[in-house]
Amino acid sequence: MSSLKHFLLRAVITLLFLAVPILGVWTFVKAEEWGLWFPPTYSTYGPSIDFLFDVIMWMVAVTFVGTELLLVWFFFRYSKKDATRATYTHGNHTLEMVWTAIPALLLIFVAFSQMKAWSTVKINFPEDGPYTVAKPLMEIYASQFDWRVRYPDAQGNFEGADVIEVPYDITVPADTKVVLRLKSRDVLHSFFVPVFRLKQDAVPGMEIPVWFEATRPGDYDLICAELCGWGHYKMAGKIHVLPKDEFASWLAKQRENLYAKD
Amino acid sequence: MIVRRHRSAALLAAVALTLTLSCKFEPFTPELHYSLNGPVVEKNPDLQGDPGAQAQLAGVLEMLVGTPKDPRFLALKDWDFDPNYWGEDLVKKDENALAALIASNRAAYREQIASIEAGDFENVFQPRFADDLWRWWLALKAEKAGDAAALKEEGVKLFSEYYPSLSNSAAFYRNQCFHCHGTEGGGNGSTSRFLNPRPRDYRPGKFKFTALKGKSRPRHEDVYRVLTEGVYTTAMPSFRRFTDAQLHGLVDYVRLLAIRGETEILLASFYTSDEGLSLESVQENYGDVVAKWRGASKQVIAAEDIPAVTPERLAHGRTLFMTPGEKGGANCVSCHGTSGRGDGASAFEVDPLTKETRRVKDEWGNEISVRDLTRGVFRFGRRPIDLYRRIYAGINGTPMPEHIGMTVTEDGKQHPMTESDIWDLAFFVRTLSVHEATVAAAPSHH
Repeated sequence: MSSLKHFLLRAVITLLFLAVPILGVWTFVKAEEWGLWFPPTYSTYGPSIDFLFDVIMWMVAVTFVGTELLLVWFFFRYSKKDATRATYTHGNHTLEMVWTAIPALLLIFVAFSQMKAWSTVKINFPEDGPYTVAKPLMEIYASQFDWRVRYPDAQGNFEGADVIEVPYDITVPADTKVVLRLKSRDVLHSFFVPVFRLKQDAVPGMEIPVWFEATRPGDYDLICAELCGWGHYKMAGKIHVLPKDEFASWLAKQRENLYAKD
Repeated sequence: MIVRRHRSAALLAAVALTLTLSCKFEPFTPELHYSLNGPVVEKNPDLQGDPGAQAQLAGVLEMLVGTPKDPRFLALKDWDFDPNYWGEDLVKKDENALAALIASNRAAYREQIASIEAGDFENVFQPRFADDLWRWWLALKAEKAGDAAALKEEGVKLFSEYYPSLSNSAAFYRNQCFHCHGTEGGGNGSTSRFLNPRPRDYRPGKFKFTALKGKSRPRHEDVYRVLTEGVYTTAMPSFRRFTDAQLHGLVDYVRLLAIRGETEILLASFYTSDEGLSLESVQENYGDVVAKWRGASKQVIAAEDIPAVTPERLAHGRTLFMTPGEKGGANCVSCHGTSGRGDGASAFEVDPLTKETRRVKDEWGNEISVRDLTRGVFRFGRRPIDLYRRIYAGINGTPMPEHIGMTVTEDGKQHPMTESDIWDLAFFVRTLSVHEATVAAAPSHH
């Protein structure tokens, strides 16, 4: 093979390799335009989750682009016909220290920077609002394959005659710290509300507290994010966020409907 | 270079490629036709061994309700209604249902409606699961090509008042329901065997959860309610994620399948080799089945007034519940058990063949669990009116009997159970899922 032909082959294959990081980065640049990016966030802690996501995404992006460019360069440089033969080496102590220490520092940074968001979402449940872990707004039951919400009776009991049970439609007040109790009737499910940036597994036998504060009235999707059986794909629900006063009258209406005659 | 070194491998790859390309990749499409109800055909020896007779039965049924691709009722001459617009007529007569239907259509087709209102007719895109709506829209667009104002007005009306046709609902049924309920609604779809309880077989026309007395066929509202509420703790989920129109359409198609199934059962049992299927018998049986469905709304169990819960009523309900039939009570205890956990003696029986104890069976032949009333799970709903209706009418197809008029003995006197007695029972049953307070507060006669 002539050396020109060989050079062209090297160049073409190198460009193919180069297409991987270029397409990868391009997808991210265009994601929002193509509708592949996150939906907007309408919970109080949503922005902090998005911020963490961005931090990690930028770290990974820099690493990805750097390693890909290195890979492409190596491919081109060392596929020369007269390239020097490979040699055995026992390694480079300094280099290894560097590429261990930098990722370790990054991981430690990630570990510490997420602590506040994690404790906000999963550990420090609201205690000052109308709903608390001991006195949640509602219980949500996951079962194969639907979501059911149960609101307590006027005395706050979740069992008994006057509780309100609704499938699929979960109604909550806006601008209120809503605490709910998540239960599963059969297998593992996961309560996932993308616009709230909220995801929590439902585990049979456990009562797991979950909280969020919706910032904007509207109807949002709830989906099951844990493969729970053949009907997993259709296990969906709707979160209806109502303004506070509308929620109060909605709940009163439900209590009335409990004693409807038809 | 590569070919020289791996000539045999290249040859194999070429053969494999040729073979792969020569295969046809066509998705498997099941042929769309209704099959006959096997066990029912087997019961009639005249029909069982005679393919000609079976073909005649299948042909008659096709004449009456069409095929899965094109389902439509045959309207008999003396009917003053068109069964093909059964649900649509009901919904469009009911103000609330119509308002809800329009609101739900406007939400589902908001993008199409916005495009039409903006006069941007070319940008209206095809909605999912509504091929008929799309066809009607294209036809309307062609018809009103020059008249933008009329197209705007009628287009918005078309989308917001959309009610699916039977054939569209049949396609939607095949998308959402048929993998459990089967093509004919026999509860024998491909996923049915993994489910307990089994999916409903519509063909006998028996539906468990209705607000009606006398084991009546369900009303449109009853089936619609099962679709929106689901049947909790079974594999039947709530289908609220679809539009009102789509769900009303499914009710229409389920009704067609049930009418087809029940007519089939009647015709198959009356078939004889001597007479075949006479036109009169077909008309009479089909007419009777349809009449049963038409008459359902007369059977609603109404509640004029829901009485107030008093300790006396709870105590009376408890007595009725706890007293066995031979002592003149309502006999609930025999199946539901003394603690209401569904573990009474009659919840189980000895299998005549294996001599083993098993759960009692329902009329579809499936073993059933008697409801554990302490769990607070009521499949028909947990409102007082739901429990009242359940106790009043029983559960169609199961050992849970109708209670209204059942003879009970109290204070040495026999009397038929009244509405008031049933309310007492319903109130008492509602307390069983509250673990302490209310039950303890109810004084007992014993």
